[in-house]
Amino acid sequence: MRRILYAGAALAVVAGAAGWLLTAASPLGASALSGLQPGDAARGESVFWAGGCTSCHAKPGTEGDAQLELGGGLELRSDFGTFVAPNISPHPTDGIGSWSELNFANAMMRGVAPDGSHYYPAFPYTSYARMSEQDVVDLFAFIKTLPSVEGKTKGHDLSFPFSVSRGIGLWKLRYFSSDPVVELPKDADPKVLRGQYLVEGPGHCGECHTPRDFGGGHDLSQWLAGAPSMEGNGRIPNITPSKDGIGDWSESDIAYYLESGFTPEFDSAGGEMAKVVRNMAKLTPEDREAIAAYLKAIPAKP
Amino acid sequence: MKKLLASAFALMLVGGTAAAQEDSVKARQALMGAAASAAGIAIPMLKGEMEYHPAVAKAAIATFYGVSVSAHAFFPEGSGANTKAAPKIWEDAEGFKAAFAKFEAAAEAADKAAGREGPADLKAFQQAVGPVLQNCGSCHENFRLE
Repeated sequence: MRRILYAGAALAVVAGAAGWLLTAASPLGASALSGLQPGDAARGESVFWAGGCTSCHAKPGTEGDAQLELGGGLELRSDFGTFVAPNISPHPTDGIGSWSELNFANAMMRGVAPDGSHYYPAFPYTSYARMSEQDVVDLFAFIKTLPSVEGKTKGHDLSFPFSVSRGIGLWKLRYFSSDPVVELPKDADPKVLRGQYLVEGPGHCGECHTPRDFGGGHDLSQWLAGAPSMEGNGRIPNITPSKDGIGDWSESDIAYYLESGFTPEFDSAGGEMAKVVRNMAKLTPEDREAIAAYLKAIPAKP
Repeated sequence: MKKLLASAFALMLVGGTAAAQEDSVKARQALMGAAASAAGIAIPMLKGEMEYHPAVAKAAIATFYGVSVSAHAFFPEGSGANTKAAPKIWEDAEGFKAAFAKFEAAAEAADKAAGREGPADLKAFQQAVGPVLQNCGSCHENFRLE
C-alpha cells in the first residue's frame, strides 16, 4: 500500500513537473533579432496602421492625434470575462518605455511578457506571430516616438479557470502557430502574397472573421468564413469569395471599401469595422489592393 | 368589466406602441436607404465612373440634407431589437444627437453651396459632399452594430 502511495505521489510530481514545463513560455532566442536593419520609425508607422494597434490601445472613441496616445483602457467583453487593453505608450513604468526590442518582439510574436508570463490571446499575437521581425522592430521604433501616457489600466476581469494565465501555455500548444494559414503556391502573384502577409499577420483579420472552436482557438478550416460576434451582437461577416461571402465584390470594390467604408451597395461600415477602415485608409493603395487580391484568392466557404 | 376594459385598453396601448416602433424602424430604414442611394450616385461621380452632372449632384446633396434633418426622429427608445441600431443610441443620447447635428450641418452647407443649379463642376461637388460623406462612417462606428 505504502508503495502504491509513493508511486502515486511520484507520478503526481512527474505530471506536475511535465505540466509546469509544458505550460512554460517559449520566448524567442536572444539572437532572434540580429542581422536586422535598425528600427525605422517611418516604416513602423505603416505597420502601426496595418496592425490596428490604436483601435484597442488608444482611449475608446478618440480621433485624430489622440489616436497616438496609447494609454489603453478599452474593455473587450467575452465568454471568458473582460479583457482590458493595457497602456503601451512609451511611459517608463506605466507603459512599455523600459522594454527592449526583444521584449517587444516576444510580446508580439510569442505572446510572452518581459517577466516570462503568457499574454491572453485577446492580444492577437496569434496573428502577429506571422509578421516579419523587421516589421516588428520598425513598429517598436515608431511606438517609441509616440506620447508617453501616465496611468496603468485596471487588470483583466476573468472567471476561473481562465484567470490562471499559466493555462495559456497549454492553449498555445494546441493553437499557436506562425505558419501561413492559406497554402499558396511559391510562384503566386507577389500581390497576393503581400495580401496574405497583411491579412494573416499584422491585419489580424482572422481574429474576428474566423469562428472559434470550444477551446477558444480558431477553426482554420473555416478561415475568414464569418463568426458570431464576441460581444454577442450579431455576426461578423464571411469575407471569403463565396455566395455567402463577398464573392460578388470585385477587387476594386474591396479596396475601395477598405479605403472609404462604402460597400458596393453604398452602405457604410459601422461598429468595429468602421475603426478598422479608419486604419486601412492609412495604408498605401497598393497594400489595400494586395489585401483585396488575397481575399479573392482564398478558398470560398459557405 | 371595468377591469376587462382597462386591460383591453392597456393591450391597445402596448399594441399601439409596438406598431409605432415598427413604423419608426421602417421610416428610418427607408431614409438610410435613400442616403445610400444618394451615395450611390455621388461616389461613382467622384471616382469618375459616372459622368458628372450638376443636377444629379444636387439631387444627391438634397437627399443627404433631407435625411440629415429627419432620420433622428425615428429612433424611439426600445426600437433597437432585431435591427443594427446600437444600444449606444439610447445610452448616449447626447452623443447621438451631436452626431446627427454634425451630419445636418455638413449637409446644410453642401445644400447651400449647391445653389439652384447644383455644384458647377466636380471639384465644387467634391468640396461640398466630401464632409457630408464622412458622417456615414463616423456615425455608424459609434451607433450602428456593423
